[in-house]
Amino acid sequence: MDTRKANILAVDDTHANLRLLTRILTGHKYTVRPVPDGLLALSAVYAETPDLILLDIMMPGMTGYEVCEKLKADERTRDIPVIFISAKNEIFDKVKAFSLGGVDYITKPFQSEEVLARVETHLSLRSLQTTLEEKNKALTEAYEQLKSAQNQLILREKMAALGQLVAGVAHEINTPLGAIRASINNISNALSASVRQLPQLFQELPPDRQADFFALSQAALENRKNLSSRETRKLRRSLKKELEEQGMNETDSFANILANMGISHISPFIRLLEEENSSFILQTAYNLFVQQNNSRNIMTAVERASKVVFALKSYARHDDSDQMLSANVPEGIDVVLTLYDNQLKKGIEVIKNYGEVPDMLCYPDELNQVWTNLIHNAIQAMEGKGILEITVRIPDASELPDIRSDSETEPGQDAYVIVQITDSGCGISEEAQARIFEPFFTTKPSGEGSGLGLDIVQNIIDRHQGRIKVESQPGKTTFSVFLPISVSG
Amino acid sequence: MSQKVILCVDDEEIILTSLRDQLQNHFGSRYMYEFAESADEALEVISELNEDGVEILIIVSDWLMPEMKGDEFLIRVHKQFPGIVKVMLTGHANEEAIERTRREANLHRCLYKPWDEEELIETLVSGLGN
Repeated sequence: MDTRKANILAVDDTHANLRLLTRILTGHKYTVRPVPDGLLALSAVYAETPDLILLDIMMPGMTGYEVCEKLKADERTRDIPVIFISAKNEIFDKVKAFSLGGVDYITKPFQSEEVLARVETHLSLRSLQTTLEEKNKALTEAYEQLKSAQNQLILREKMAALGQLVAGVAHEINTPLGAIRASINNISNALSASVRQLPQLFQELPPDRQADFFALSQAALENRKNLSSRETRKLRRSLKKELEEQGMNETDSFANILANMGISHISPFIRLLEEENSSFILQTAYNLFVQQNNSRNIMTAVERASKVVFALKSYARHDDSDQMLSANVPEGIDVVLTLYDNQLKKGIEVIKNYGEVPDMLCYPDELNQVWTNLIHNAIQAMEGKGILEITVRIPDASELPDIRSDSETEPGQDAYVIVQITDSGCGISEEAQARIFEPFFTTKPSGEGSGLGLDIVQNIIDRHQGRIKVESQPGKTTFSVFLPISVSG
Repeated sequence: MSQKVILCVDDEEIILTSLRDQLQNHFGSRYMYEFAESADEALEVISELNEDGVEILIIVSDWLMPEMKGDEFLIRVHKQFPGIVKVMLTGHANEEAIERTRREANLHRCLYKPWDEEELIETLVSGLGN
């Protein structure tokens, strides 16, 4: 601000003084409004806020002190600098002048240079103060905006992670649902067929063949182990050979059905297979087997789906009380691995080295977020193919970073759990390693990462009074998370 | 007797088991059914059958499998056996992969888990009719 154009209010009951002040100041391009008493001074201030007030103390009616007090009591006027003017022969209380909020004083008779110097100084001070206040306000606003933007980004990051999880979970749930839906139809069809076939079968089969039929069904039903597709093919081939050696017809379809039922040799059932209606007999036995086998299929599918739902529930377990809970770290990691199963099985081998670690007090859902971020980064670093190694154990004393150097209680080496997540991906350059925990720093192509993942991880680990460090070279990147088993405070 | 084959590929045993009995129930011994738990295994089966002179009519393949995924697998098969009808059966749609398979492997149809039995059979019948 150009202080020379400032608007100054001069208040003095002595007209000669007022004229003198006006002359000195207007001579230096200040705008001066002269007023002869306190009350007029106040109305002049309210009519138009001056940049500075020169205020005589001893005036009839309202004194300068009283005027100043009123100005300082009012928020609109409290920041206007007031310079008191006092005659040398008057009893003048400097301490009172400052305590009432005056910034300076001038004694009469005054020299014009002194008046100008003091006015100039206080106008500059005021102007600097105003600029500072404005800057401060702008900074505060900018900070608030940044904070809200950051919160939005954190939320977006969470939503993005959630979106990916939902896609994965959709697959994980739809697979068992598909199996269940198909198996139910299979059971229902096989049951209808059995109801038709069984009476006919018992009418046609002689009693000892009936015993064979039961033996065959029993053998199939008791067959608990599920053969792989490869094993089934092998079994079918060997059964076909046995059937051919027995000179039977329809060796392909017989071998197929027997192999599906997991029957390893035909020898106990040869007489049954030599019956005229052997195809019908076999179909009947197979339908019984289908009912049991598809029921088992449903059981497996339900277990699979429950596992996913359980993982989701554990993942999203929200604790509003903001209290630490006792939880098992490997279990939390397994929850995250379950949710990432569909991404992992596209080409990532997971090696788990879980040692014995005690349950520990923590914020379980926040730790899940840590594992999610680290595992997600690892999958991306490996571009979906490679080896993900997860180690959980009690670290050696030598491995501990100086976590609680300020703490008086020396933690024993068993006071921490270390979780190491190692991927075989491309690695992180040294420059990037120094910056990866900074908010908004990302090595991912734009649009793929907000750069907040590891910042969030860092914050969560700080909240647990833990430490995270990274070691990386191409083909081997390890994030080590140290968590105190019991957190103080 | 020259048997024709329907081949199902899925890394989930529960899916293969339930498909097997659905096919068995609907088509009985009209076709042979082969199953593979990975694309690699499927390629092995295909080449064995090819050596034995057995014709594969249809492949029903999952998309999301470890190692080779369904789109890559079907496109690879298509290069050697353009005549085999290809059907995808997937738990989660990756539109890009499906589109690529449509373009590069002449995908007959894509079905979604949990699939409808009638729709599956209708898809196979229409594929077999081609």
